[in-house]
Amino acid sequence: MNMFAVAIGGAFGAVARYLFGLLIMNRFPHPRVPVAMLFVNVLGSFGLGLFFGLIYGEIPEYVYDDTWFLVAGIGFFGAFTTFSTFSVETVELVRKGSYKKVWIYVSLSLLGSLLTFITGLHIGELL
Amino acid sequence: MIYKNIAAIAAGGAIGAVFRYLINLQLLSTGLPTGTVIENLTGSLMLGMVTGWMLHSSTREWINKGIGVGFCGGFTTMSTLASDSFVLGSQFSFMASVIYLTVSLFGGVLLAFGGLILGTQWSESYRKVRES
Repeated sequence: MNMFAVAIGGAFGAVARYLFGLLIMNRFPHPRVPVAMLFVNVLGSFGLGLFFGLIYGEIPEYVYDDTWFLVAGIGFFGAFTTFSTFSVETVELVRKGSYKKVWIYVSLSLLGSLLTFITGLHIGELL
Repeated sequence: MIYKNIAAIAAGGAIGAVFRYLINLQLLSTGLPTGTVIENLTGSLMLGMVTGWMLHSSTREWINKGIGVGFCGGFTTMSTLASDSFVLGSQFSFMASVIYLTVSLFGGVLLAFGGLILGTQWSESYRKVRES
């Protein structure tokens, strides 16, 4: 049952990431940095923070039996955001020798995700 | 065609997320976010391999999408990384979250780079074997 909850959330999260990525790539066909996954990651981190704040009022720990945590936290937001594409896109920027873009992309992705996560968490706690 | 891709991505994403969940469960007792580090690093290596392989091979698109976008994407995560580094910063120290982010970033990039090289080599040798 728990694995099923994670699987459902993961399937929707991955498909949502793909469709959202296509949408952004259609709007910005030639971005200077790979904005599609950057946007997805920042948005998904905000979503996870908001979900935690709204439902738990804090970052939940040891709730691996909670179905909503598994569907949304591990499944959906876990799979909607991605780290592997971030790594590969960073490598491609490094290979092109555009170190300034590497720096911008990496800091926007990591710090952006962290900051929007915290923002989402606080907004959720207030609501 | 897009529906085939979407079905493959849904299946890959479900499997990737379940693997991530199972690894997290095993490592829950450590009290540290080691699971996410392992998943993000191995997932980066794997996506590197898949990307390298795709450059020179003609594997069907839905298979590539299912493994790359679906499995690797669903297995790795940025939102839990954000949550983990915030928890580390507030429970342990600022330094702990800096170390966590540094290991994830440099480990992920190095492994993705290694994966790209391996994947490219494999697809080239595979093509040579098929042509000869």
